[in-house]
Amino acid sequence: MGFLVGRLLGLVPTLAGVVVVTFVLTHLLPGDPAVFFANSVTADAATIAAVRQKLGLDLPLWQQFFVYVGQLAHGDLGQSISTGQPVAADLLQRLPASLELTLVAFAIAIAVALPLGIAAALRPGSLLDHVCRVLSTAGVSLPTFVSGLLLIYLLYYLLGWAPEPIGRIDPFAIMPPRITGLLLIDTLLAGDTEGFGMAARQIVLPAVTMALFALAPLARMTRAAMLGVLSSEFIRTARANGLRRRTIIVSYALRNALLPIVTTLGMIFSNMLGANVLVERVFAWPGVGSYALDSLISLDYAPVQGFMLVMAGIFVLVNFVIDLLYAVIDPRTGLLTHA
Amino acid sequence: MNRRDLGKLAAAAGLMGLAPMRWAHAQTRAESLRVLSEAGPNSFDPIGVGVNRSAIQAHWNTYDRLLSFGTQTRPDGTLTFDYYKIEGELAERYEVTDDGKTITLHLRPDATFHDGSPVTAEDVKWSLDRVVNTPVGKSQFSTGSMTSADQFTVVDARTIRITVPRADRFTLPNLAGTYPVIFNSKLAKEHATAADPWAAEWLKTNVAGGGPFKLDTHTPGQSLTLSRFDAWKNGALPGFRRVLWQMVPNAQTRRTSLERGDADIAQDLPPQDAVSMAQEGKVKVVGVPMSGAFQFIGMNNTKAPFDNVKVRQAIAYALPYQQMFDAALFKRGQPLFGGKPNEADGTQFPQPLGYDTDLGKAKALLTEAGFPVGFETTFSFELSLATVAEPVSLLVQESLAKIGIRVTINKVPGGQLGTLLQNKEVPFFFEGSAAYFADPDYFFRIFYNGPTRWNFGSYANPEFQALVEKTRFESDRAAYEADVTRMINLAKQEVPIILLWQPALDTGMQKSVEGYKYLFHRMLELRSLKRA
Repeated sequence: MGFLVGRLLGLVPTLAGVVVVTFVLTHLLPGDPAVFFANSVTADAATIAAVRQKLGLDLPLWQQFFVYVGQLAHGDLGQSISTGQPVAADLLQRLPASLELTLVAFAIAIAVALPLGIAAALRPGSLLDHVCRVLSTAGVSLPTFVSGLLLIYLLYYLLGWAPEPIGRIDPFAIMPPRITGLLLIDTLLAGDTEGFGMAARQIVLPAVTMALFALAPLARMTRAAMLGVLSSEFIRTARANGLRRRTIIVSYALRNALLPIVTTLGMIFSNMLGANVLVERVFAWPGVGSYALDSLISLDYAPVQGFMLVMAGIFVLVNFVIDLLYAVIDPRTGLLTHA
Repeated sequence: MNRRDLGKLAAAAGLMGLAPMRWAHAQTRAESLRVLSEAGPNSFDPIGVGVNRSAIQAHWNTYDRLLSFGTQTRPDGTLTFDYYKIEGELAERYEVTDDGKTITLHLRPDATFHDGSPVTAEDVKWSLDRVVNTPVGKSQFSTGSMTSADQFTVVDARTIRITVPRADRFTLPNLAGTYPVIFNSKLAKEHATAADPWAAEWLKTNVAGGGPFKLDTHTPGQSLTLSRFDAWKNGALPGFRRVLWQMVPNAQTRRTSLERGDADIAQDLPPQDAVSMAQEGKVKVVGVPMSGAFQFIGMNNTKAPFDNVKVRQAIAYALPYQQMFDAALFKRGQPLFGGKPNEADGTQFPQPLGYDTDLGKAKALLTEAGFPVGFETTFSFELSLATVAEPVSLLVQESLAKIGIRVTINKVPGGQLGTLLQNKEVPFFFEGSAAYFADPDYFFRIFYNGPTRWNFGSYANPEFQALVEKTRFESDRAAYEADVTRMINLAKQEVPIILLWQPALDTGMQKSVEGYKYLFHRMLELRSLKRA
């Protein structure tokens, strides 16, 4: 328990640091938001000054920081100019969309990459191994917008099997009452199987596109870790003792190979959640990645800060979960001895 | 087996049954319109800080204005606005006194807002007062001599009078522009606070108007649904009962959906897609050169070597215009190169500046200017314009190298070129802009004059400045045209900026969609659209 509390307390200075860094970084950006937002050709210096004052950018930087921290203390992430909505509302709307897509893509990636990596490690040099290599190379080298557009062209445009690749659900479908924000779960909770089907079909293409990208590092890492473990002495001993093949691979080899795989998983998950701008754009998926990028391009500080803060929180949380997983997977890490 | 057979096969196999009921198959298709655009509105209020271009599409269709521009037909049959013909919209008629100082507008007696309450002169006054009481609105309205709320007087419930200190050609166009929408003032005032007397916060996310369409739902950044306001009195009832407007950031996705027949209109097509879609012929592509909009090569006239007019002319002769027009714009637009050199060709502006690629002349001018071996400079463009600016910059670099000018390309991250231009920090760059009003003096006043960043060349010729001042209120047609001709001559001879072209606004639509009209603000007017 002490370990858990210690870890959680350790998050506080990290997040405080993130608040300072996000503020400083966004305000270090070249480009003057007042000039950007006074975008009418009739705007003169007086208009720009009025806009600057309205945005609170005429205050000294340290005062702006205290205003910002004061807002944060009230749970207010500020107002996005480029969407016209409060940042908190935007993030609350968009984060579940990204999360849902990431979780599904993540599940697909794991379901394909782990067995593939293990199989490739068991028979190095075999056809399967080559398939694994080709798939990981293609996954890494094909930009997601290319694979996304290819899938759309084939499955939607030519064959008509996939629904129109726009958004999370048919625009005329009745949205389920919002509980988690994840449509796949909310529709089920509302007992709306038709809605669930719609949302599920809608998510397949973007999720597969994202999974293709995530698959590569995961399959490679699984293969490498498994190869390392399979050649170690305790596996040789297990084999010599005539244990069942299944027991050797799953209980002994895989469990010992899991540590690096879980580390990779954690990194991939956080990356997928925040940095999948291209998939979000191609499929008009209302996620946080394109939101943050659009805000950055339009010099809109509040959403960028809000996004960085939330993502930092999620990164920290994911790392925390990964640490816990380490302890479960491998008691030798000693992380749970204090518990 | 062609695609259709495959579809049948899929249907037979029960696969089609798996597809959700698409909009394409909805029964109401004939009366519904589905529009895909790159971005969505960030406000329903036309005036505010950072209100984007898509916002116009939202408030243009949900609000009325007192006046609107007339309609004319382009040679290719496309409808477009007529800047020089101003008609009544919410005001059924208007009178201007002979001295031009008083405009009396008579409201349509039966016009109502969406909530059924009648539109009164009080609503109009509140709405116009609101424009001049917001900084962005005031700077626009002052181009039409409207700066104070005292200038708007309620005569009676249906009549409003606008007075201006002197006759101004821009007063009426300003009233037909995007800013002065007429709000339901009673409704808006309910949401006003002491700190926010003009209900800016509330009107940002709510519509309090009486336009041809009502706002039904809005999911920011995703979609917007509108339905027809059946009691609309200010024009012919719109052809569509419902409009679904979705935001699809990726142009290829918009195109695919349109070509599959799921969407009715795809806006903001990149030039190369417009070309190939038009060639394939599955859907209609309407491309209208954007009036008042232009892309250009800017030079800071106050900094060496661009302060030398011969250097600017040399560059204007060295640019590979046709190649740039073909490679960057795929010919989707109206060239502003070539044409009559040195002298005005009519009084419209922008017009072709009279420069063609002529490396010999360029080299000679550069030698005359004192740069026989050329010089070094950086050429900047903003990444948000990269699809056009990237090929342009490479061609500029290659061509200028031939006369000894060594160009380094500087790609500026999105949103930052404006600040650099404001501080006059970039010597040589690619950029685009647009003016709403067609009068040439308006164009010159913004883009060839003054301290703002819109004076892209930082041009400061005293004679030109005097002419800009003089033409502001010039009411004598002949004198005005003579002055404009002189300004155009100067713009051609001294080339403070090198105009390249007016890009086309490319919109793809189903062949069944008719009545598309190009407007000065470049967003869709929904009321004139219908399905054949």
